[in-house]
Amino acid sequence: MNQTLKKTKRVITILILSLSFILGACSLPGLSGAPENTIRIGTLNTTESQIMGQVVKQLIEHETDLEVVLVNNLGSSIVQHQAMLDKQVDITATRYTGTDLSGALGMEPVNDPDEAMKIVQKEFKERWDQTWFDSYGFDNTYAFTVTKELAEKYGLEKVSDLADVAGELRFGVDNSWIHREGDGYQGFVETYGFEFPKIYPMQIGLVYEALANDEMDVVLAYSSDGRIAAFNLKILEDDKKFFPPYDTSLVARNEVLREHPELEGILNKLVGTIDTAKMQKMNYEADGEKREPAVVAQKFLEEHHYFEGVE
Amino acid sequence: MMDVFQDLLNYYGQNAWYVWEQFYKQFLMSAYGVLFGAIVGIPIGIFIAHHNRLSPWVISLANIIQTIPALAMLGVLMLVMGLGPNTVVFALFLYSLLPIIKNTYTGIRNVDPAMLESGKGMGMTRLQVLRMVELPLSLSVIMAGLRTALVITIGVATIGTFIGAGGLGDIIIRGTNVSDGTTIILAGAIPTALMAIIADAVMGWFEKRLAPSTRLKKNPANQV
Repeated sequence: MNQTLKKTKRVITILILSLSFILGACSLPGLSGAPENTIRIGTLNTTESQIMGQVVKQLIEHETDLEVVLVNNLGSSIVQHQAMLDKQVDITATRYTGTDLSGALGMEPVNDPDEAMKIVQKEFKERWDQTWFDSYGFDNTYAFTVTKELAEKYGLEKVSDLADVAGELRFGVDNSWIHREGDGYQGFVETYGFEFPKIYPMQIGLVYEALANDEMDVVLAYSSDGRIAAFNLKILEDDKKFFPPYDTSLVARNEVLREHPELEGILNKLVGTIDTAKMQKMNYEADGEKREPAVVAQKFLEEHHYFEGVE
Repeated sequence: MMDVFQDLLNYYGQNAWYVWEQFYKQFLMSAYGVLFGAIVGIPIGIFIAHHNRLSPWVISLANIIQTIPALAMLGVLMLVMGLGPNTVVFALFLYSLLPIIKNTYTGIRNVDPAMLESGKGMGMTRLQVLRMVELPLSLSVIMAGLRTALVITIGVATIGTFIGAGGLGDIIIRGTNVSDGTTIILAGAIPTALMAIIADAVMGWFEKRLAPSTRLKKNPANQV
């Protein structure tokens, strides 16, 4: 009796283990293709990242016979980076220069956008054999934002223009920004030399409505958020270059680019095609008008005829 | 209430192909899970029905698997198998084992011993008894196991979104991440529930068709 019991125990364990390994490597029709012909794209849990992931996916599928799967909802840039190092994903669709400088690379922030881009491109190539592509053309940084009416009333163009009127303006900001080291509120006061006496900490998602409903006068928003365009808001230029640049690019593993030499040219077509206003619009189509990122991406690619003929 | 309904219609109008893609993907994950579960579970069930002393051990093992929370299961499997739908399929396979093994075991054990005896008396081999007596008589109970397994796996597959497997869970999670996502959450949750209900109904119909009493009535040749 004990003999048979042990035997069955062993048989079942072996069965389960072997099944897990077979399944891990095999392709299930309709679900996952053969690993060597599949490109995996990692995206964050933000709308912007998922739109860009879909743009990259649909473009590759349009141009090649490769199968592309999205690995959605990765928690943060660090998780994305780790997934790339573990070879769980081949491409990450949205990476931000400022985030990766301080996060993945552990370096000091750099305020010049071109220099920041140069550094991440060089470091990612040397350290991890990955290609940081040139930017899509938009950035997603903290931005001082006001309504168009207020901007006209006080003639506001740049952040410095706020200095004279800051005393009477209600300023709504992200909770975490107030106490943040470096590019937080303290750093802001030191760089620009004026304070906001009336400062209201709130959740970042609420600042747009607060501004549109006249509950706030100035807010710190994310520059590519769709509601900036939808609510007719105006971003003030960060004239003292206080915030580090967050230019957005895709990053790919060179191993995959070598395996599929056609990919690099295809991915390069996206460089410089989406400015911040365009990204705001696409983000709004997804969040405001409730179109899925996949649908927004498809529309974008169709408008550009899938960049056919572009080299 | 009407507004929500209107928004939903609007959402499906704009995103029809995407929702269908995710629906199909989620169904495939569940179906593969149950399929592998059946390939492994039914033979195990038959085996332990014939070697009854093993049954407590095997069934309690399957029971233990069933008690592991879905998120924990996916998390652990992810460490071994990585991200993506295959990991989810494997988790669903594990979850479908218990209902399939248990029902196969019960179905075969409940076959009237007199039937087995008469089979043997007619000179059938063990395999013939299994094929011609035991399996046909327990088929509807085994089907009931597959039915339970499929409904469970459709629910669990929704969580696959957390390890990048896609499916309708992707839509639900996106709804929780945008500022006004009620419509999107509902747009993902309703098809998930519908899929489970439809799967349950369809499998229930099969189960009924395969019950020995129904089959007897349908085929006059079987009536003695």
